[in-house]
Amino acid sequence: MTNFRTFILGLAASFGLPWLCLIVLPAMQYEQLTPVAYDKDKDGVEGFFPPAPINGQGQLVYIREGCNQCHTQMIRPVQLGLDGWYKGWGQDQEARPTTPARSNVLGDYLGEKYALLGIQRVGPDLANFGFRAPDKAALYQHLYSPRSVHDWSTMPAYTGLFKVQKIQGPVSEHAVKLPKKFAPAPGYEIVPTPEAERLVEYLLSLKKDYPVPGQSAAVAASPAKK
Amino acid sequence: MQTTPATPDTDLQADNLRRAAIDKSVKGPVLFLFTNGAFWLMLSTLLGVLAAIKLVEPEFLGDCQYITYGRLQPAHINALVYGWGIQAALGVMLWIMARRSGQELKGGKSLLITAGVFWNITITFGIIAILMGKSTSIEWLEMPKFVWPVLLACFLCYAWPIARMFGRAFRPEGFMVSTWYILGACFWFPWIFITANVALHCLPGLGAIGAGIDAWYIHAVILLFFVPVGVGAVYYFIPKITGKPIASAQLASAGFWSLAILGGWTGMQKYMGGPLPAWMTSVGACAGVLLLIPVGLVGLNHHLTTLGKHSSVAASPTLRFIFFGALFYPVSGLVLALNSAFWTGANVQFTQSWYAFQVVSLYGFFSMCVFGAIYYIVPRLSGCEWLSVRLIRNHFWFSVYGIGTIVIMSLVAGWQQGVDLNDPDHWDQTFMNHVVNSRPYVVSRAVAWTLISFSNCMFLLHLLLMVAGLGRRSSAPTLLEHDHDDQALPHEAHA
Repeated sequence: MTNFRTFILGLAASFGLPWLCLIVLPAMQYEQLTPVAYDKDKDGVEGFFPPAPINGQGQLVYIREGCNQCHTQMIRPVQLGLDGWYKGWGQDQEARPTTPARSNVLGDYLGEKYALLGIQRVGPDLANFGFRAPDKAALYQHLYSPRSVHDWSTMPAYTGLFKVQKIQGPVSEHAVKLPKKFAPAPGYEIVPTPEAERLVEYLLSLKKDYPVPGQSAAVAASPAKK
Repeated sequence: MQTTPATPDTDLQADNLRRAAIDKSVKGPVLFLFTNGAFWLMLSTLLGVLAAIKLVEPEFLGDCQYITYGRLQPAHINALVYGWGIQAALGVMLWIMARRSGQELKGGKSLLITAGVFWNITITFGIIAILMGKSTSIEWLEMPKFVWPVLLACFLCYAWPIARMFGRAFRPEGFMVSTWYILGACFWFPWIFITANVALHCLPGLGAIGAGIDAWYIHAVILLFFVPVGVGAVYYFIPKITGKPIASAQLASAGFWSLAILGGWTGMQKYMGGPLPAWMTSVGACAGVLLLIPVGLVGLNHHLTTLGKHSSVAASPTLRFIFFGALFYPVSGLVLALNSAFWTGANVQFTQSWYAFQVVSLYGFFSMCVFGAIYYIVPRLSGCEWLSVRLIRNHFWFSVYGIGTIVIMSLVAGWQQGVDLNDPDHWDQTFMNHVVNSRPYVVSRAVAWTLISFSNCMFLLHLLLMVAGLGRRSSAPTLLEHDHDDQALPHEAHA
């Protein structure tokens, strides 16, 4: 029986070491992590990092629909990919930014229950979507009928997040504006449900390019656009 | 079996009786798992077809919100992993362990069946929940929170008797490499499963570390559960059917322990360059490449064992599936290394090559080995032989071509996607090139899953007939070729 015990011990030891080092200790360390205060002199800004939380209610819709199957939320450093140089993928919305958007750090996802880093990148990265997002009306149109924006799009049309209703009185102010081909029957309008509103709020709150305390002083020093 | 008895006839007869008694003792649970697993496999491949079509043409079947790609893809993978994979693996593990340890399953059969029923009901609820919009978006753990304790309890119901059999029969001098692997799988899976679920569902929130744990979970389940079961089956059936002992005990031992040591380290390289501390992704990438060592050792051992026995690969359905499954093991190791190493991984990160790894390891390697095992085990449990050579042959060829297509196409597509993503000319472009260029590959994926669904139809039908006891009444096994009579299979192959 001693050999059986040795064998089990071998199984436990070989797996236990990575389990401890890779899962347990980092998880315990992460639990200690708290928002860091900016240093006004060094970072040029005040308050805490990360400055603004994401919209948790909207994130539930994002999670439910499995958006992370096709959209990542993670900017890679320039030596690994083009991400940082993509137009508008960072805080800086200029046509030709002088520095690439920074890659993400652990603190960017502080307060999120589970960081939706993504599975594949079929569509664009959304880590900093809030900085480059168009107005809400355009977002609603994109969610309701992606093909009315790009005819090659393979994004599903989330019609379930919208209501088609008969126009009573004046057209409601949130009604989705669509090109003729995609528009509903005359006398009807398409309005977002509260879920769609929350999802859009979430997408607009995705801003993971705030300066990191004590890092990238050059980026922090440059005046924030928008 | 390895000893040469003084009176071959009576000894052989006693041996056969003992085997029959063992088979009878595990018949109920094993057949239950195989049949239900085959149903899930069928469903999973159909969902795979649908998901691939929806990825190219999102308007297919209308804008129904229950079947968008974001819900279909997790349903497809979860049905494959929990419905088919783990269920079929448990059946194979139970049977091989009972046979290899020479122990009958004593009591608790109704508990095993009950656990199996609960497993299937829970997965049904879980998959429906994903489609209804209760997904957690945690890859491979998309089923809602309530699912995991039930699954764990059901798994432990099976793992306990398997471990008991191993413990009772453990002989220090005995060479039992297939049972090492199976015990390893029994031991590691609950540990991995509890860790990931507690971390992601019970702790207050781990942010980006949670994403890393999820990537680790997927790799650990593949490398420390599916791979051991597959390799264990290969180690059991190749010597059994060819009648040759395993080529090298040292290689087998080194292959096992290097897998055990490296398997737990890999996974987090999926988010290389991301918010995780760099050492975590680097360790994962190193381990992902170093895993080529156990893969190579095992591959070499299998190659040396089958050397000169390729005629039985053509003739025996079991060996044919097992042989091709074993061939896909080095392939999946290579795909993992390709995804892990920084200089290729940076290009194929977040592309279809991730899907290629899941499919090649879960289907190309693991499922092919399990198919082989099922073709061997089921006749012994149901008391009749497989009905039709043609059905088996079609199952084999459609599977091989289908999987080959998916893996190659996903890899090429992954490379293409990476090139499109990182093309400096695209810095201010929309994703049009990227989407349009990867479309043909996804179409081929849909076609390949259709072929595989077709092959699974035949497999399921064949299996159902066998379980119903409608197979061929004969003492000779169903072989795929008969023109090699001079090289007839050794007697063990039929035992």
